[in-house]
Amino acid sequence: MAHQYQGAWFVRCRGSAGGFFNLLLGMAWLFHAAAAGAASTADHSKFQQLQQEFKSGQELTRACLACHTEASKQVMKTKHWTWEALNPDTNQKLGKKTLVNNFCIGIPSNQPYCTSCHVGYGWKDNSFDFTAEENVDCLACHDTTGTYRKPSGLAGHPVYKEMEFPPGSGEIVRPVNLQKVAQKVGKTSRYNCVACHSYGGGGDGVKHGDLDSSLEAPDMDVDVHMDATGLDFNCATCHATTGHEVPGSRYAPVAKDRSSPLLRGMLGKRNPATCESCHGGQPHKADTMARIKPLPGHTAVSMAAMVNRHGEKLACQTCHIPAMSRGGVPTKMVWDWSAAGKRGPDGKPVVEKDAKGHTVYDSKKGAFVLGENVIPEYVWFNGEVKYTLLGDKIRKGSGYVPINRFGGSPNDGKSRIWPVKVFRGVQPYDPVNETLVVPHIYGTDPAAYGVSFNWEKAVVAGMADAGAPFSGKVDFIKTEMLWPLTHMVAPRAGTVACNECHSKSGGFSEGRMKNVPGLKKGPLFKPTP
Amino acid sequence: MKLQESILIGLAACLLGAPLMARAYEGDWKRGNVYYRMVCTECHTSQAGGAIGPNTRTRAEWTAYLQADKHAKGKDSLRSYVGKPYRASIASTNKAAAKFADVPDEELYEDLKAFVARSAKDGDAPTGCR
Repeated sequence: MAHQYQGAWFVRCRGSAGGFFNLLLGMAWLFHAAAAGAASTADHSKFQQLQQEFKSGQELTRACLACHTEASKQVMKTKHWTWEALNPDTNQKLGKKTLVNNFCIGIPSNQPYCTSCHVGYGWKDNSFDFTAEENVDCLACHDTTGTYRKPSGLAGHPVYKEMEFPPGSGEIVRPVNLQKVAQKVGKTSRYNCVACHSYGGGGDGVKHGDLDSSLEAPDMDVDVHMDATGLDFNCATCHATTGHEVPGSRYAPVAKDRSSPLLRGMLGKRNPATCESCHGGQPHKADTMARIKPLPGHTAVSMAAMVNRHGEKLACQTCHIPAMSRGGVPTKMVWDWSAAGKRGPDGKPVVEKDAKGHTVYDSKKGAFVLGENVIPEYVWFNGEVKYTLLGDKIRKGSGYVPINRFGGSPNDGKSRIWPVKVFRGVQPYDPVNETLVVPHIYGTDPAAYGVSFNWEKAVVAGMADAGAPFSGKVDFIKTEMLWPLTHMVAPRAGTVACNECHSKSGGFSEGRMKNVPGLKKGPLFKPTP
Repeated sequence: MKLQESILIGLAACLLGAPLMARAYEGDWKRGNVYYRMVCTECHTSQAGGAIGPNTRTRAEWTAYLQADKHAKGKDSLRSYVGKPYRASIASTNKAAAKFADVPDEELYEDLKAFVARSAKDGDAPTGCR
């Protein structure tokens, strides 16, 4: 019967050349489908909407939304779009739109430069339309070609026409082929996340200390989870995303999660990006402890129990992230804006580099101190973070003004000791109003600091854009900002050793914990019952 | 009629074959990145005096280099360092070689090509060594 049917089918089809060609085209399509990647159920190169040249990002977004009707609405509810976040504990309105930091300081008046990392097109000033769905940039997170880039200064747009970038550099950047990128969109990979989150603060690895481009293809020593030849996690493996909402924000961090592993289907409001959400609250087992030599008086079972008890007072990261910036990319540790403005013998701005070619001085930005394999500082942290916002009173003294403060103490029952990057800076402030300020740093207009080298002019422009008062006077103030470390988790062999915290005398005065208050002296090798 | 059928069958063959030809393997730059970093850079760093960043050459220079297939100034073949026998020889000590042990030689070579083209000095995402 099958043979008969095929025969009839062939005869019927060859009855007309048009029908036969339709058949052939259909078969050809099936071959196409078979040849396409097996991981996805959709081959975007076959979509009619994407068979055209796109002149702008918005034009392409309209094509995406023809099928993905709810995507932009979902994105528009997220911090990636609003750059706003409300901290439920402090009621502080946070997010990039609002915060002042001691890296590039703030986005008011600098939007076209900062918003190259916004998931949108065209945020060049305060008139940006946050309600226009076509302004959502799908490709920033869904490009798989690695060719989609949004250079600083283009207000979140990619390059549409060949251009010199940076201006005056002689380097020519080719336009992105939006059609090609669109036809190859896919699930977000760590390359998409790294493109922005590892380049915050103006360059690779500058800001976080535990995020840099080495995480694109790390080995096990850099990150045991993301190890490209091992577990090969994507960012979204931990930051399990639903409806474009990416969980695990540092604006409302979880400092202590002693729960059981998070089973599928039980997400609720729990943060899936904590260590415990996979490993549980008692992660150290006797069988793994049996692989190491037990301390005197201990068995593998008691060793496991003892190390698990550490989890009451120590974040997992404290032992499992022995140092930051371990992937060969330095992080910025100090930024002194007050040193900016120096000129070379020819009167022109200068850029100075260290032996490895990393910028350590830039007339337009000031002086930097970089670090690799930096041992973190440690603080008690209960998850509460309070920021110093624009308008908050600050007082110049001998110490550092905190850009953010971590809540926590040894005795509140909610805190654990966390490893942090402490980023220290010297930045402009208003000595009359006693507030932080946002200067207009970037741009080619006369008020931009990089053009005028005049702080007063730059701050007038920046504060006007922020809608904040400014006395007209500028001074500099020392600030520090805390960044909890949670990426670059080392393999077991690279964890912090006992004697790096516990001294031979049983105290904590010499090791990593020497500046952490409230730690009781006790013998290191006390057996656990 | 016979002529018409022959033409149609010929066209059918072309139409069916075209997609397969059009679907020639397109290099996976992400896999190329891992191999470049963990095999090429690893060896160059430990045995050849230093790594060579993809961004130290232009796309044209990389294309010429890969086409010439001359490694170590012509002493041996570049392809041999991407081939299965080489991968097998270092698989016990190199996790990338082990992970990609079964990838066809031509595919892995295309992966490398795609990666250096993207990461070259004048590529879409110039990349140094790390």
